[in-house]
Amino acid sequence: MELSECVQRGLQALAEPSSVDQSGFQVLVDATFRSLLSAHADSGVLDLPELKQVDQILLKQIHTATTTFILEVVKHNSDKSTISSCLEDLSFSTDRIEIFYTAYQVHVKLRYDQSPFFFSFCSIGRQAPHINDVSWRLEYHMKNAHVNKVNEPCYLISLNTEKEGSSEDVSFTCTVEQLQDLVGKLKDAAKSVERAGQI
Amino acid sequence: MEEVDKILIHALKQIGTDVSEEISSINQFSSELIVKAVVRCIQVINPGLGSPLPSSLPPAMSARFRVGMSLAQACQELGYKGEIGYQTFLYSSELEIRSLLMFLVEKLPRESSEASDQPTGKSVVLQRAIAAAIKAQLSVPWLPMNCRLPLHTETQSAGPLHSFHTLPLSLPYSSTGLGDKYEKEEKEYQRDFLLPVTAQISHQPSMVASILEHHTTVLSAVQQWDNEWNSQGLLSRLTPQEYRARKMARLRKRIKEQLRSNAHPSPEGSFRSSHSSNDLSEVLQMFKSPSSSDHILTKGTHFTHTQKFTFEQEPAAVTSPVPTGRQSDGDVQQRQQAEIESLQQQLQQLCTEIEQLTTDMKHMSVTHTQVLNEIKQKELMNKETEDKIQVKKKTLDFLPDSDNSLQKLQAQVEASAARLVNLASQWEKHRAPLIEEHRRLKEKCSNQELESSRKLSEIKSMQEKIRVATEEARKKEDIHKQLVTQLENLPKDVSRSAYTQRILEIVSNIKKQKEEINKILSDTRELQKEINSLTGKLDRTFAVTDELVFKDAKKDESVRKSYKYLAALHDNCNQLIQTIEETGTILREIRDLEEQIETENSNKTVANLERILEDYKAIRQENSVLAAKIKEG
Repeated sequence: MELSECVQRGLQALAEPSSVDQSGFQVLVDATFRSLLSAHADSGVLDLPELKQVDQILLKQIHTATTTFILEVVKHNSDKSTISSCLEDLSFSTDRIEIFYTAYQVHVKLRYDQSPFFFSFCSIGRQAPHINDVSWRLEYHMKNAHVNKVNEPCYLISLNTEKEGSSEDVSFTCTVEQLQDLVGKLKDAAKSVERAGQI
Repeated sequence: MEEVDKILIHALKQIGTDVSEEISSINQFSSELIVKAVVRCIQVINPGLGSPLPSSLPPAMSARFRVGMSLAQACQELGYKGEIGYQTFLYSSELEIRSLLMFLVEKLPRESSEASDQPTGKSVVLQRAIAAAIKAQLSVPWLPMNCRLPLHTETQSAGPLHSFHTLPLSLPYSSTGLGDKYEKEEKEYQRDFLLPVTAQISHQPSMVASILEHHTTVLSAVQQWDNEWNSQGLLSRLTPQEYRARKMARLRKRIKEQLRSNAHPSPEGSFRSSHSSNDLSEVLQMFKSPSSSDHILTKGTHFTHTQKFTFEQEPAAVTSPVPTGRQSDGDVQQRQQAEIESLQQQLQQLCTEIEQLTTDMKHMSVTHTQVLNEIKQKELMNKETEDKIQVKKKTLDFLPDSDNSLQKLQAQVEASAARLVNLASQWEKHRAPLIEEHRRLKEKCSNQELESSRKLSEIKSMQEKIRVATEEARKKEDIHKQLVTQLENLPKDVSRSAYTQRILEIVSNIKKQKEEINKILSDTRELQKEINSLTGKLDRTFAVTDELVFKDAKKDESVRKSYKYLAALHDNCNQLIQTIEETGTILREIRDLEEQIETENSNKTVANLERILEDYKAIRQENSVLAAKIKEG
């Protein structure tokens, strides 16, 4: 896990007992986690009495660095050993690492295990709608106004898809060959995914 | 011997032979067990050979004999070079069985050695992580919507809710080392008014996305700068700031030129704009670093390729039915077309006028420059004529007083010549040390250049070494991690360290023994040399004494007696020596015979002979029974 220079500097400042003492450290770590997870943008999150003696600019740099570090940790889904080795490289003492890791567990990991929806703000990405159900109907076209004898089968397919909780129907008609093509492509896709999972 | 037996029994148990727990050495193997073990080995090594063999010893004697023969043949086909026959299985001896089983166990196919030679590159690790994640997702069964657990949120329900949208953040700058570079007002702003990072964007997903994006931008900018500095920057031998400044000036110039060339109104009107955007994009392409990442995403699976091909035709088909035009829009379109045409005509006119004007302007400027040149030339000529007039005037003034002025003029001329000579010598004096300085400084400059190029190559080689060393260290760490996990996964029933220790002990023992043998050999050689030299001496002394005494023996009686004693002594000593040698050889023979007795004893020949006799009787009985049956039927 690579960190940019400002983040490293901010974290090193956080680790130094001369700039942030022990009580201030605990309070700052908790405040950082809370600011990241609260749904409202709270501008007074760093206005705490224990942090008054820290230089404000340095405090804001530390806050930025810690937030970036937490987000990177969550992004890589790192385990305890990676986090500890990272913080050790930035000269964190062992008890400060412990405090940080317990705060991380309390605020992030345990909450995620209980209800993943708490972190719905973190689910960033795009996804196509999921297909839940299929209803189909087979029609047989016998005659129409222009031609006396048509005699062709035709499928009407309606896929019940779901996106972000709301469901929607996607309907279309196709001939037998087109349906075979579609099924062939689906099988192809399934095989590709299986092969990707076997490497 | 026990370790070998333990390894063999363990290997046999691993391939599936049913060896009971109490058997711990080859000695205790019964014929049945031997047959079972050998058959199982052959089946594992070569299933084709092993299928017709029965898995246990049948009770009938002739059947047993046949089974023994077929087993022996199978073993020979596998390549066993020792003597083998039905007797190895039915009337076994420990040594033969041990060698046969060792041969078979060595031939067993090895399964476990392939998994450990995999490369440990970063992309391989990433691929493996991706494969594991896909496998885990595939293994979760699909459930209808009402039954879903939080386990399924990722793959079956809502999925990501927000798109990746970033907004610019304002971050507090570092104050270490840069000091007063930032204004007091800026510092005040950062201290008192700048909101903490999490409060700057109110939409939480965007805040998260912006922070992550900013961090990644900084990281990738640093990496790009590193790459560029290492490849091009060091070659230019400038400091980083100078290199950056030069690059920025170069880029600014290029952009200015491009914009200027595109800002001129061009006669082709609207078609030019797409052209210029193409040129601009080409210029922007040139700015990209040479190691661009265009070829990352070009590998696709069969599926994506077919998708690309089949969907290319569809947009073309989709767009064609659209501009069929409806009746009500026709007039509007016609009017618009007419307007467009008139406007284009106007534009054409204006363009032609502008062209004319520009050509006129060019003409004018050319004539203007020509006229200026002429004026300059005329002025020069004027000046020259004026000078000539001046000179002529002066000479006219001097004419009345010609002799005097001639002398004065000559004196002046001589004086100025003398002055010139003086000045020239002074200049020469001055010039020489300056030239020396010039040469010295030039040499220093070239030396410095050599030094700097040497240092540059050193820096490059050091960087290479650093890179190689860090890569190796990382690789070794990865391998170490992998091997540790593999070691934990290995089965723990057989302790390898005990074996390795024994092996090392045996090796050291053998070394010691070799040394001792060498010592003994050298001792023996020395003794032999001594014996040879002593016998030689003895012979010589005896010959000399013999002669001496014999010479005196003819005259004196006591000397004759002493000669006889001497001869007798010599013979007796010879005999002694001979007996000692014979005793030695006999002792050696005794030792050899004892060894042979031991080996013969372990062959269990007596027991085997008894069994053979019994079997022979059983076969004779079976033969008579079969003969009786044939006679009856």
